[in-house]
Formats: sequence, structure tokens, C-alpha cells
Amino acid sequence: MSPEVIQRAVSELTARYGEPVRYIQEGGQVLVRLDDVELYDSCTPGHTKILLVLNPAQPKPLFYVLPGQTLSNGRLPKNSSNEMVAGESWMRFSFNIPWDEGDGIIQFVASIRQRFAQSE
Amino acid sequence: MNEKIELRVPLGLGEQLQERVCSDGQHETVAFGLVGYYRIGRTHVLLLRQLLTLRYVDYVAQHHAGAVWKGSAMLPAIEAAIDGNLGIVLFHAHLHDGPPDFSSDDRETAERLIPLFSRRVKSRPHGSIVLSRTNAFGFISIPNRPRLLRSKILVRWFGSATLDWSADSAPPTPSLNGLTAQTDVTGTSGESALRKANVAVVGLGGGGSHVSAQLSHLGVGRLTLIDDDHVEQKHQHRIIGITPRDIRLVRLKTRVARRVSRNIGLGTALTLVEEKVPSPTALAALKSADVIVGCVDTLHSRRELQTIATRFAIPYVDIGLRIRAFSPDSLADRRVSIGGNVITYIPGGFCMWCCGFISETKLAAELDQFGYLQNAPGEAQVVSLNGVLASQAVNEVLQILTGFAGTSLSRQSLAAGEQADLQRGFKKLDGVRGTLEEWGAIWYPDCPHCSGDLAHGEAAW
Repeated sequence: MSPEVIQRAVSELTARYGEPVRYIQEGGQVLVRLDDVELYDSCTPGHTKILLVLNPAQPKPLFYVLPGQTLSNGRLPKNSSNEMVAGESWMRFSFNIPWDEGDGIIQFVASIRQRFAQSE
Repeated sequence: MNEKIELRVPLGLGEQLQERVCSDGQHETVAFGLVGYYRIGRTHVLLLRQLLTLRYVDYVAQHHAGAVWKGSAMLPAIEAAIDGNLGIVLFHAHLHDGPPDFSSDDRETAERLIPLFSRRVKSRPHGSIVLSRTNAFGFISIPNRPRLLRSKILVRWFGSATLDWSADSAPPTPSLNGLTAQTDVTGTSGESALRKANVAVVGLGGGGSHVSAQLSHLGVGRLTLIDDDHVEQKHQHRIIGITPRDIRLVRLKTRVARRVSRNIGLGTALTLVEEKVPSPTALAALKSADVIVGCVDTLHSRRELQTIATRFAIPYVDIGLRIRAFSPDSLADRRVSIGGNVITYIPGGFCMWCCGFISETKLAAELDQFGYLQNAPGEAQVVSLNGVLASQAVNEVLQILTGFAGTSLSRQSLAAGEQADLQRGFKKLDGVRGTLEEWGAIWYPDCPHCSGDLAHGEAAW
């Protein structure tokens, strides 16, 4: 991800989500936290935080949600594990969300939310 | 108000700070510290990351002993704080024993500068701290709080041991009955430090069960035992205190360690975390530890613990044992290699990346082709060899907490033998020869892991 793409992603997220978006730069990467993302009713809990790690050395954003977040079937996503990012505990899992710079970051976040509606 | 402030000063920076502000000159001198931050319960932990000082010409001549400096001289510190998303703490010293206090000039300066710093970096604490020769006092602004917190401050200096300047002049806690022989080594203040300490042990298998038992014998105040695994038949040869009933009941390893500690009966308080690191509960427990001991199986787990130790400035002792047969399939060739390590990380010193114990190549080798951790094959373990490493790990904890083998803040005091660039703290076991030798390791100031993460604390959202 080029610095320009990262900059644009942060701007788009701030414009779309407003106040619940926080971002910091740490160790050459930009961390963006969406504080209140609504998931599907059947997910537990129904709202989560999403952390996006935008790193110039990575081809696409990395994403995390709060530990313990379930899919719509009440189960944890497959191959999920807790990781420490920026001193906090976050849950990572192996959803392969497609990333296309042309679609933008808002589409990427929408795909993450969509993926939680599925049951595996 | 029951809130506490703690300042952690990594190895190297403590020596620098004392040199800069504790000198007997014509007037006081100041230093600007850039700090990371995290909060655990009612304790606000400020983590010193970097120190900036003023040049001689930046001070304005005064008829009194206080320091007055040009406002523009602070710009580099303010810019560095904005760039790094860090708090700013102004340090100066009053050179006497006992708790210091602010003069009216000190207070006026603090009340003027701290709001200025807070406007520049809103999400971090800022403050002004005065050091004496034994204690510290300060005004601190906590993010999202309108008022300054006026507080005695506990300063934790990391050197060859951890030196705590307590927030008050309270006498040391009396030592436990029956520990007189131990007190000959640790001293009364060492006993007090042990009783106050919270040591986290991660992994309670062959190594960790020894470590937690020995720490209980030492009379450590609190043990935080972290492991989500349960005992099995194969552990009977190596987990201290295990019983056949534990195996039948498939008890968690933490429960076995708790029973052993309770049976020792020296009043060690126990916190059990039956989750994997870094779950939120495990991470919170580790953040409140004074020392972490890692007795884990994988490099990935070690990487997590190293990051936590670095980021929150917590000493970390790691042990690991590897026994390999030269010819595993041969009945005739019974030769084995038995290698082990005890690595002691002091915040500000070398880390497991600096000494090459962890590397991206080694981490990748631990993963299978799909990127998942491979199940470690049932490697050979021998209780007595684990015990050697565990005992040395506990010696390291004892030194960190009590300084029984010396206390110094200087980097030089940690030199391994005559080689000044080698820091001690990387010991290698050769189980076949029966030796445990200090190899030492080089601290790399530019290590992207320990220097990049050091004392960052939590994210400054």
C-alpha cells in the first residue's frame, strides 16, 4: 500500500464514520480504529471495534476485531487467534477479504462486515 | 485520591537522567523526558522512552539556584513528542535525601508548561517531576482530565537490578518468620521487595512448574500463573507436584501449581489466568507484573512475551530446553545434544531479537505451509535439566527484585566479563557437559524491535 493510498483510506474512513474513527501512526504504519461498527443481529456482540493496520510494506490492509467476536452462527471465526497490536489485544482470523485500491477502504470494511454474516 | 503514579526508567536512561539533573552546578539543570503510558487499575505508569537536554547556552543567567531557560529551547522536545505521540515530562532535582517538594517557582513553571504540552499531544500524560536522592514528587496531567494530579511518584530504575524509589519513606516490610537464612542473601529490603513483587509465570509445564514452586519458596508476594493447558500422563515425569489424580481429573496446570504454592505455605497470593497470551485477561495480568518468566514452547509465544516486556518496560526471563538425538532411529547410537537457554531481558538492554534467538527466518520455520503453527513433536524432556534452567531463571528474578549480586544503573555494570560490548543475561546450558555458561549478547541501539517498541505503552488513541 503506497503512502498515498493509506492517506486516502484514512480520509475516506474519517469522512464515512466520523467521530468513532481514531488513527495513529506507529512504527511506520498507520493504525485506524473504528470504534462502533454494526454487525448482523445474530453476531455476538452486535457491535464491534475494527482495527485496520495500513502498512506501506504490506499489499493490503490487515484487520482485527475485538477478541471473542462471534459469527452469525455463534461461533468464533475459523483459525482465529488473539494478537497484541499496539499494546492491545485483538482477534485476527483468516478471512480472505479481497482488496482493490480502486474500490477503496469503505468497500473493504463492508466486506469484513458481510463476512460475519456467514457461518464459517 | 488513591491514584498512583509510577515512572519506569529503562537501562541507560536512568544513568543519563541522574547525570543530567543531579549535578552540582551553579544552577539547577532540567531534562525533558518523552514518555509512553499505560494504566493498570489505579496506577498510571509513565514509561521513559527518550531524554532530551538543554545546551548550556539555552539557560538564562539567574541570581538564584533555580533553572530558567529560553522557551525556544523546548521546541525539539515538543516536536519529538508530537512526532512520536508521546508525553513530555520535565525533570529537575533537589539534591537531598527523603521526599522532595516543589518550590513556588517549580509549581508556577509546572502549571504553565504542562497545559502547553497537553495542547500539543492531547492523548498522553505530561508532567513535571522533581527527584531527590531517594524519592520523587510531581504534577502530572492525565489525558481527558481537567485537573493536574499532584502526587508522590514511585520511580523504578532498571539496571543490574530493579531499584524502586518508593513514593514515601515507609520502612521496609518486616521479613517473614523462618527466612533468616535467605535474608542473609537478600537483606531486609530484598525481603520487602520479594513480598511486594508480582511475578508472572507463563507456561506451567516442565520449566514453569519448577519456577512457580521456587518463587513460592522465596516468599514472592504474588504469583500470576498463566497457562490454558491441562495435565496429561506424559507430564508425570516433569511437572512438579503432579499426582495421578490430577491426570485422572484432567486438571489444568495452573491448578496443580496453585496447590503446590499453597502447600508451601508462605502466603503467596495467586492469580490464575487460564487463557492463552495475549488474550485480554492474560495481557492485563502481564501488564501488572513486576517480572515475567516465560517457560513456553514456541518462538511465536516468545515473540509475544518479548513485545509485551519491551512495550511496557517489564523485565523478562525466558527459559527453553532442547534435547535432540543424533541418530533418532538408531539403537546403537544413543548420543544426544542437550541445549538450553536462560535469557534475561532488562528494559533498555538487549532483547531476543538483538541476540538472534528470535528472527523472522526462525519464526517462519515454525509455521507450516499454510502459515499455521506446527504442532511441536513430543520433544524429550528431563525434569532435572528443566530444573537447572528453572533455578537459574529464579536466580535472575531474585537478582532483578533484590539486587543480591549488586545494584547499578550503569550499562557497564552489566558487561559480560571483560568484553564491554557484551551484556550479560544470555546463558547457555550444555546438558551433556554439565555447564551453564554466560555467553552474553550485544545490545543494538537500532534494533527495530526493542528500540522501536521500548516503553511505548498502550496506543495513544
